[in-house]
Amino acid sequence: MINKTSFFGKALLMLAFLTPFTQSCTNLDEEVYGQLTDANFPTTEEQFISALGATYTSLYGWANHNSIFSLQEIASDEMMIPHRGADWFDGGQWLRVHRHEYTKTEESINNGWGFLFGGVNNCNRVIDLFDQLVADGKVEAATAAAFIGEVKVLRALFYFWLLDAYGNVPIVSSFADAEPNPPTKSRAEVYAFIESELNANVPNLARKKDGSTYARMNYYAGKALQAKLYLNAEVYTGTAQWDAAIAACDEVVNSGAYSLESDYFTNFNTNNAGSNENIFVVPYDEQNAQGFNIAQMTLHYSSQATFKLQAQPWNGYCTLQEFYESYENSDKRKGVSGNQSIRGNFHAGPQFDADGTRTIDSGAETGDPVLDPDGQPLTFTPEINEHFPNALRQAGARVGKFQYALGATQNLSNDFPILRYSDVVLMKAEALFRKGTGDPAALVNQVRTRAGVAEFGSVTADNLLAERGREFFYEGWRRQDLIRFGKYGDARQFKPASDANKRIFPIPAQQVNANPRLVQNPGY
Amino acid sequence: MKLKVNYFAKWLLLVLATGLCGSAFAQRTISGTITDDATKEPLIGANILVVGTSTGTITDFDGKYELRLPDGATQLEISYTGYSSKTVAIGTSNVMDFTLSAGQLLDEVVVVGYGTQKQREVTGSVTSVKAEDFNGGNINDPLQLVQGKVPGLSISKIGGDPNGGSTIRLRGLSTLGANAEPLIIIDGLIGASLESVDPNDIASIDVLKDGSAAAIYGSRGSSGVILITTKKGAKGSTSVEYNAYVSSESIANQVDVASPAEFKRLRPASDRGSSTDWLDLVTRDAISHAHNIALSGGFGGTAYRASFNIRNIEGVGLGDGFRQLNGRLNLTQKALNDKLTIGVNLSATNRKATYAFREAFRYAVTYNPTAPAFFPEGSTNPLVGKYGGYYQEENFDFFNPLAIAEQSTNNGDIKELVMGARADYQLFEGFTAGVSYAVQRESEQFGSFYDKDAYFRGFNTDGSASISSNDRLNELFEITGNYTTGFGGNNVLTLLGGYSWQNNDSYSSNATNGVFISNDLSFYGLGAGQDLDRGRAALGNGRDVYKVIAFFGRVNLNIDDTYFFMASARREGSTRFGEGNKWGIFPAVSAGVTLSNLVDIAGVDNLKLRVGYGETGAIPPGSLLGQRTYVERGSFFFNGGFVPAYGPDRNPNPDLKWETKGEFNAGLDFALADSKLTGTFEYYTRSTRDFIYEVNVPVPPNQASRTWANLEDVELKNTGIELSLGYLFGNKNGVSWEPRVLFSTYSTVLDTVSVSGESKFPFFQSGGQVFNDFTSPGAPGLNNLPTMVVQGGQEIGQMWGFTFDRVGEDGSFVYKDLNGDGVITSDDQSVIGNGLPDFSLGINNSFTFGDFDFNFFLRGEFGHDLINSFRTFYEPLGSRTIENLVVTEFFNENLTATPAFNSYYVEDASFIALDNATLGYKLKLPAGGSFKSLRLYLTAQNLFFITDYSGVDPSVRYADPGGTDNGGFAGREFNPDPLYPGHDRRNNYFRTRSLIFGLNLGF
Repeated sequence: MINKTSFFGKALLMLAFLTPFTQSCTNLDEEVYGQLTDANFPTTEEQFISALGATYTSLYGWANHNSIFSLQEIASDEMMIPHRGADWFDGGQWLRVHRHEYTKTEESINNGWGFLFGGVNNCNRVIDLFDQLVADGKVEAATAAAFIGEVKVLRALFYFWLLDAYGNVPIVSSFADAEPNPPTKSRAEVYAFIESELNANVPNLARKKDGSTYARMNYYAGKALQAKLYLNAEVYTGTAQWDAAIAACDEVVNSGAYSLESDYFTNFNTNNAGSNENIFVVPYDEQNAQGFNIAQMTLHYSSQATFKLQAQPWNGYCTLQEFYESYENSDKRKGVSGNQSIRGNFHAGPQFDADGTRTIDSGAETGDPVLDPDGQPLTFTPEINEHFPNALRQAGARVGKFQYALGATQNLSNDFPILRYSDVVLMKAEALFRKGTGDPAALVNQVRTRAGVAEFGSVTADNLLAERGREFFYEGWRRQDLIRFGKYGDARQFKPASDANKRIFPIPAQQVNANPRLVQNPGY
Repeated sequence: MKLKVNYFAKWLLLVLATGLCGSAFAQRTISGTITDDATKEPLIGANILVVGTSTGTITDFDGKYELRLPDGATQLEISYTGYSSKTVAIGTSNVMDFTLSAGQLLDEVVVVGYGTQKQREVTGSVTSVKAEDFNGGNINDPLQLVQGKVPGLSISKIGGDPNGGSTIRLRGLSTLGANAEPLIIIDGLIGASLESVDPNDIASIDVLKDGSAAAIYGSRGSSGVILITTKKGAKGSTSVEYNAYVSSESIANQVDVASPAEFKRLRPASDRGSSTDWLDLVTRDAISHAHNIALSGGFGGTAYRASFNIRNIEGVGLGDGFRQLNGRLNLTQKALNDKLTIGVNLSATNRKATYAFREAFRYAVTYNPTAPAFFPEGSTNPLVGKYGGYYQEENFDFFNPLAIAEQSTNNGDIKELVMGARADYQLFEGFTAGVSYAVQRESEQFGSFYDKDAYFRGFNTDGSASISSNDRLNELFEITGNYTTGFGGNNVLTLLGGYSWQNNDSYSSNATNGVFISNDLSFYGLGAGQDLDRGRAALGNGRDVYKVIAFFGRVNLNIDDTYFFMASARREGSTRFGEGNKWGIFPAVSAGVTLSNLVDIAGVDNLKLRVGYGETGAIPPGSLLGQRTYVERGSFFFNGGFVPAYGPDRNPNPDLKWETKGEFNAGLDFALADSKLTGTFEYYTRSTRDFIYEVNVPVPPNQASRTWANLEDVELKNTGIELSLGYLFGNKNGVSWEPRVLFSTYSTVLDTVSVSGESKFPFFQSGGQVFNDFTSPGAPGLNNLPTMVVQGGQEIGQMWGFTFDRVGEDGSFVYKDLNGDGVITSDDQSVIGNGLPDFSLGINNSFTFGDFDFNFFLRGEFGHDLINSFRTFYEPLGSRTIENLVVTEFFNENLTATPAFNSYYVEDASFIALDNATLGYKLKLPAGGSFKSLRLYLTAQNLFFITDYSGVDPSVRYADPGGTDNGGFAGREFNPDPLYPGHDRRNNYFRTRSLIFGLNLGF
């Protein structure tokens, strides 16, 4: 008994005073399960590629709602979001954007900035990473140089959008040496930066057009981007660059690598990866590259039954009547009112479920004898009764340009063309027209012939702008085109005339608050 | 210091002596009777303890005891619940009789963490609630037992969801997000699950309110500590208890909406020809019952208590509720001449729950009252066959509520297992070493299914199923040493030292699939869904492991039962802290003086002043937050196929550390007029710094836009007072009335702190205001409209917007032009309400009249506002015509504007509620019969709320989950933001009222 007691006592004492000081009992190292941290990533070639990929995947936020894309569209004459009863007010943001009354606190303006600088930063980060991998001897210098050149051209695309939308923005070209608060640079400086980046890096890009360059920056994508930059140079710097634009377009045209598809909609189908016309795309995919949800943004709640969609649409985006009517009825790009099975840029007229019965909008407003004589059966009318506050639920023709696959989820699989051969053709036509040389009509008529409409005898500023509108509807270029043609600030339906300051967006208030060296754009 | 060394040398000698000398001396046995000082009645079950040992016994039915004294025994401590205890020297006589006097609560035992103290010795702010004072009724969540009973502890439960939890705040908010709720400790197990204990098995709930009391729990004590102690067996006669109740519960309140007739008048175009009471269709009168049987007793060196609990609880929502079985065994055994005490406790819980869809309540409010529940026979509507016969319209955010309740399934299966063992060994007189190890294992499985033809969360998915499971291990190993010694007359010194090692290991997994051939597959046939083949199924899992390791010590000094002093420190580290900041120290000191022992004031029986200061912390809410992690950022199209792209999710922060809260507390305990008037007053002021917060940082220079960091430029300052005051009229054994009033008030200010140089992780950007978009009402139409603001130097909980003036001629909202510039701009917005209450009140009334007892408890919160979401969206006539109109006293037919948020929808939600009223009757049972006691009771729960608030439940909303629409989940559904209190959202369970009949039987 005595021995036992003393043994137990001693054992407890041992425990009490010794155990705490052994290593395992004070070890506070964090254990990592199922996560990648600096300790284990990136270490293999497969992982380097995966890290590189984060630059391109930055593009996936492009076509989402409340984005830079929404701004580019709603601020133009081709798209609006009316305030439908109690729906879609959302603080009045979309009314203000359409009326060019946007303020520095608009959520979409901050989102756009975040999206574009996020892309720039991801590019800078990956450039820095590859420099580091070369220094560490993990990657060959030549391999890294090819990757870095490509990423710099992608970065130039993000900067091009920044130049176009916000004008005066900071230039951040290095990750490691970035200033905590980079200062605003003038629009001309930003232009010069992009120009020099493209000149330095585009010549080294792959001149291939195959699976290895699809959805990547190849030489022709770089040239098409250069053409865009030069075509708008007068807007950005005051100095036109028509010859440079023509030269860049010619590089693409003369390569023979791309051509107009005989069917316009081949470029916008669910499976459009085979298009010979799309030069640079965001390779949206239901599973792998999510973020393209135009079906949600534009279609009516009840349209779910038309395309057996997996999620209910939001009944928002629609086009303006005048824009819809800028298409002749014979224009193949317009679509056929009341027939959803024929592809068109729009869905208009009576709507049908996938089984052919009329789609019902049980929440339809009391029958308006003029605008909505049939009441509950869903009919998209090109007329929009008012902007605010009581636009009819079924008012406005909807976007039909991108095919809605039967049974699609919120994430469409259609690749989104950013740069397209027909744009190169029309850019060249425009540059020739501005210079007053060559035969711009022949180029424009390539596009018109495909659309099944009569050729132009001659090109005018008005008919060229209208043709660009019809051709590039809902591709995110309309605001830029209107500005270049001097029509952006004009009064139009649901919008009074707006001043020249509105041609660039304000620097978001949140960003100015966070970075005291940012300078607000004039007029905001 | 010298003294201490000497003491230590003495211990060592004693250790040796104990070991060597063992039982060298003869022992003797004493006996006697313990009686009530006044009535001379014997006291049954009174405790007799040899001071400084664990040797003791209790008196039998005749008040008699017999005790074998161990070596060196010099003093006995005699105690009895509700009586003053006394300590007496052991004389030479072998017969010792004692008397005890009733009335003073000063000797009640209070659990303070790693030990207990008598109420009179406590120097921190600690409130102890014993089982007899718990709230009664149909209570399934242990903390509901003390709702309103602890000044400063707010427990807010919205609606009567039987599976819904409560939001808990102790003395207001102490953090910006890391961990706003108090640390729960059950029988010593830190971070225990409340679901592992049945309310029937709880003996006491002790709340460590101030920093000096909570600091012994260090890095996790900032939001306060709640200690739950389960019932134990006691030596003496064995007893069997059976407790049971049956309850009937129904909806107590609902949102006032237009009747079908009113709707037809106001929305003639939306008349669907029927008349349906949606709320009635999705609710029911719920019948619940619970049973508890407990066996307890002690013999020899053994004490035990075993209990078994069955709860069969229905909610008022169609089909929701749970069935729970819980078993608990608490066993202690003394050995080795009573020097060794070994305790084992086991608890197992098995809960099968069917969760409510709060959306059924939501859409019962908004759904068209003229729509039928089902399509009538012969209907030609094209949707007739599409949604299982349920009437539906394909509109955004518009669902047939009955279909939600009947076509959706959400079940849970929760298993909790707690196993613990503890050994305490008295090494020598006064010194006890203890070692304990406990494991809590929680396993949860959830499954949900939406029918093939469901519209809500079904749409065209053709059946959608998901399962998820969580498995959590919480293991705690602790070693303590406890030394108590008397010295220099009537002085006692107690020393505590310990080591604590805790490991938490959680594993979770989830899977989702869709498109099923039959509803009967439900979520059990997950693999059969065709979405898997189409690449639309989802899989995920993860594991999170973290440790918390601590060394702690405490000194308590009692000088002549008049001066009390406490000092403690806990040095604690966590794996969740950054590399450079693994360990922190959390110190505390407090002192008290019983003034009534020093000066004799007429009529004052006890007057004690306490002051204390302590520092506590909060740890990061997840692991790896101080490290850079890479996550998949979509897939990258590479060489003709997609490869996953990885980018950084957050930046590393090796400096990430604990939040620190410093709290000063002063308290006054008093008993006057022969201890009939008793009370406690507390004042505290505290400041919390270094908030752990996910900060948006500029990119570049950072790689990712988010860093978990400690905020440098803000601190939370809370100041408050608490008062508890009670009076006993009459005599407890005859006719008595004992009212007790609890009052508390506090302010929580988020102050700015000037930082030298530029703050690396600022909370406020220039302007000193933070608006968060998720505080917007939401869709339809009210996104991008933040309703709340956080402003530096001001109280949190401010609502922000235009001030409603009147309805304009054209039916629009007319706002007040606050700056008088003639136009309404955003400059006319201001603070239009506050979501936190000015003060809280609890009023308890206990009556006894012979064998009857009656108790009612009123609880109130005053001065808080709520944003009434239902009114905001559905009251103006300009709202969507498909939905029903909310018609409260504020309804104005002239208001035809589309919905907008402004001060018209901010309402004062002060309330006082009758939480609980119980009438009990003790039956007179024949002496010597088989039953010892029988009490029958009738309880009414949530009988009424008195409030001007026009919504369903005026309770304080302590945190905001954000808005949700169209069957989606709110942005912060599972992590509501505590910085934005006060938004009464649309997805709420409704308030209920219950009537309970129960019995307590002893034999």
